[in-house]
Amino acid sequence: MPSNPAGGASVTMTSDPVTSRVDDRLLADLESVVGEQHVRHTPGDVHPYSRDATPLFSSAPDVVVFPASTQEVAAVLRLATERRVPVVPRGAGSNLCAATVPVRGGIIMVLTRMEQIVEISAVELLAVVQPGVTTAMLADAAAARGLLFAPDPGSRIVSTVGGNVAMCAGGLRGLKYGVTRNYVLGLEVVLATGEVLRTGGRLWKDVAGYDLTRLLTGSEGTLGVITEITTALLPMPQTALTGVAYFPSLAHAGRAVSGIITDGVVPATLEFLDQKCIGAVEDYAHLGLHRDAGALLLFGDDGAPDVVKRNLQRMADRCAAEGAIDITVGGAVAESEALLEARRCSLPALSRLQPLTVLEDATVPRPRIAEMVDRIDQIAERYNLLIATFGHAGDGNLHPTACINPADGDAAVRVERAFGEVFQAALDMDGTITGEHGVGAAKLPYLQARLGADQMALLRRVKAAFDPAGILNPGKLGS
Amino acid sequence: MTAPVTDESARVTSPLTIAVTATADTAGDALQRRGIFTAATLDRCISCGFCLSTCPTYALTKDEKSSPRGRITLMRALETGQLADDDPTLIEEASFCLGCRACEPVCPAGVHYGELIEEWRDHQWRGDQRPLLVRPLMWMVDRTWRYGLAATIRRHALTRRHTDGPHLMLGCFERMLFPRVSRVTRRLRPELDATPIQGCCGALHAHNGELERGRQLARELGERLPGTIVTTAGGCAAHLSDVLGRPRVMELSEYLLRQGTPPLTPLLVDGRRARVAIQDSCHLRNGMGVYRESRELIRRVADLVELPHAGTCCGAAGSYSIVRPKDSRRVLAPKLDEIQNAGIDYVVVVNPGCQRQLITGLRRRHSAIRVLHLAELLGMAAE
Repeated sequence: MPSNPAGGASVTMTSDPVTSRVDDRLLADLESVVGEQHVRHTPGDVHPYSRDATPLFSSAPDVVVFPASTQEVAAVLRLATERRVPVVPRGAGSNLCAATVPVRGGIIMVLTRMEQIVEISAVELLAVVQPGVTTAMLADAAAARGLLFAPDPGSRIVSTVGGNVAMCAGGLRGLKYGVTRNYVLGLEVVLATGEVLRTGGRLWKDVAGYDLTRLLTGSEGTLGVITEITTALLPMPQTALTGVAYFPSLAHAGRAVSGIITDGVVPATLEFLDQKCIGAVEDYAHLGLHRDAGALLLFGDDGAPDVVKRNLQRMADRCAAEGAIDITVGGAVAESEALLEARRCSLPALSRLQPLTVLEDATVPRPRIAEMVDRIDQIAERYNLLIATFGHAGDGNLHPTACINPADGDAAVRVERAFGEVFQAALDMDGTITGEHGVGAAKLPYLQARLGADQMALLRRVKAAFDPAGILNPGKLGS
Repeated sequence: MTAPVTDESARVTSPLTIAVTATADTAGDALQRRGIFTAATLDRCISCGFCLSTCPTYALTKDEKSSPRGRITLMRALETGQLADDDPTLIEEASFCLGCRACEPVCPAGVHYGELIEEWRDHQWRGDQRPLLVRPLMWMVDRTWRYGLAATIRRHALTRRHTDGPHLMLGCFERMLFPRVSRVTRRLRPELDATPIQGCCGALHAHNGELERGRQLARELGERLPGTIVTTAGGCAAHLSDVLGRPRVMELSEYLLRQGTPPLTPLLVDGRRARVAIQDSCHLRNGMGVYRESRELIRRVADLVELPHAGTCCGAAGSYSIVRPKDSRRVLAPKLDEIQNAGIDYVVVVNPGCQRQLITGLRRRHSAIRVLHLAELLGMAAE
């Protein structure tokens, strides 16, 4: 494979007019906008921004700017459009699809200085925040007022709300509570050409115009820079309980999941681990899991105590009816927390098996989870790879996780090919190439297979309408 | 302004092809490793960024390079030669890091960051690159007679007999700054042997770019004090257990919980139970996972008040408060706010560096809250 020791990605994409042309004049102009101390451009300063949480992707920017206000964001974008320099907006850099890796260099715009919680309204059940507020900060502030910020991506302690919206982050509660997009009521966004727009607002009902709020949610920094978010909150559920059931196979667990939902329960938690995950978690955390079981299903609900208790009983009964080997229902919140530990430490446990862990998120319709995991296992076997799968049984969002040693010959190539087949298998089952991680640079090559040529072309036209010079996160969605 | 639209996906064939062409650090084999870092440790980081939320220096700057993930990215660039040894960011960040290891317990991949920062400084701080102010400290503790001489003017715990232990480690700085701690400890557990000629555990060396000397000092101390070594300094405990193995080392709170304390009377202030907070020792908590024990002991004699960030570094960080006093105070400031707002009578520490840092900080603010080593608090309750 060709290599590029300079670390830039310019080698892969040459025909685009947007290239990193960062010169002294641009640096001086950026400094006059955000202040000298908020512009970094030495090799050591920019190098840490060459990565996000995506393994194997890295490419250094030319300059990093830290704007503190919407006006500064707008001024930087106007400069970038005028000079045709790429701009990649970034929050915590915790996304898993290389969405914030500046594959064509240019400017990384870090929004962590904009970290004010502007407002939390218990009357209107909403919060207004700047993009650099972390998910956990918002959730804690809401909880202090007895309110729930429902989206809970795995990276919540570090991820920013701006990043969550830009990536349409998911989480563990998708089935009952939906994902980030279900809560975004309004956005303030700066276009590449510097105009500041406000889309949506404080209303649940508002059909004036195209739903730009939804279009921008999940736009991965390619259509505009989000500078303020109005997000819906919910009343905090009174209590939450969790149970765990073991099954002889994932097919049994899959039938239990379908049964639970046709029984009329929409659980807050419905997570599964396959046999390989159970083994890895048990080796790592010694929780006393049944490692001979074919699948582990965590089920749980939140809400009023009597309702939660009844739902847990119904779910446990359904698991038993579908052939569960063993069922435990947490009697207290603390016990329930302990049960969730098995799910939480899946990734840490797997990541200790090999130096490199590649976490994917192919997603299929809920009734086809077991079938999909079978396909993944077959593919893994054919490529001689260890791929363990855990995920969100409630919404069909799977996390097949490959554990490899990149030094082991062609392991990286085998993983790439195997996941190519996994994505195709998901598409064959009416699924998708990514449920919650996003497209970024990592999934772009597979996007056409999901969307088709006409939709790809429309995406590019939408992109051009928002960002005529193509400066915003080039080489990603809409490129 | 319209850019010509090109069909990118037709040319881009695979994400990993982009990755490997665009990547120039550990993923490709294009770049030679220099062998500065243990490859398996450096490769373990998956760049998830969970560590950002716990890093005190990232909290100050909100800049990736001052975070554990960013520093590991810098280390990778150093390892592969993408950044030169004299890169100013490398020099600054190797020094700006507190080495508190708060990033380790939250790391899903189990990266031993403490080892990496030691290897980094070992490489980065060769010869005259080492911070000037650390050098006399390291010289001081490098030979047993030097601080032994200094310590003769302070009366710490000593025994003339020589036994197979358990041994009380006196600590180079603690025996000079807070000799009372070892005296009280021996009153609590008289069987502890406190031989005067011990040596330095080498933590100071290991944390300041003399990794091998730091390990050698620990091994020598292990030979002078055979059997179990009990220490009242969290930083020393973590370094010793890294070198000598965990079973040989017991920090005071662990030892007291296992062996018991003399009868304790609850401490009263104005006729009510004393209100006591604890400031953890970073390496004890993050490196050894020991923090429940001290709390259990405090609860026996007082009402424990948990500080919101008890597990976060106070900025003492070994020699950090001497080498980077300004940054050390920036890290300390929110800690002092928490202590002063907690409505407490005492704040307990389990490491002499933290003790000095909090005493100095609270004195500067004219606070009436007293800083005590855990041994001193229990000593008061045992009287």
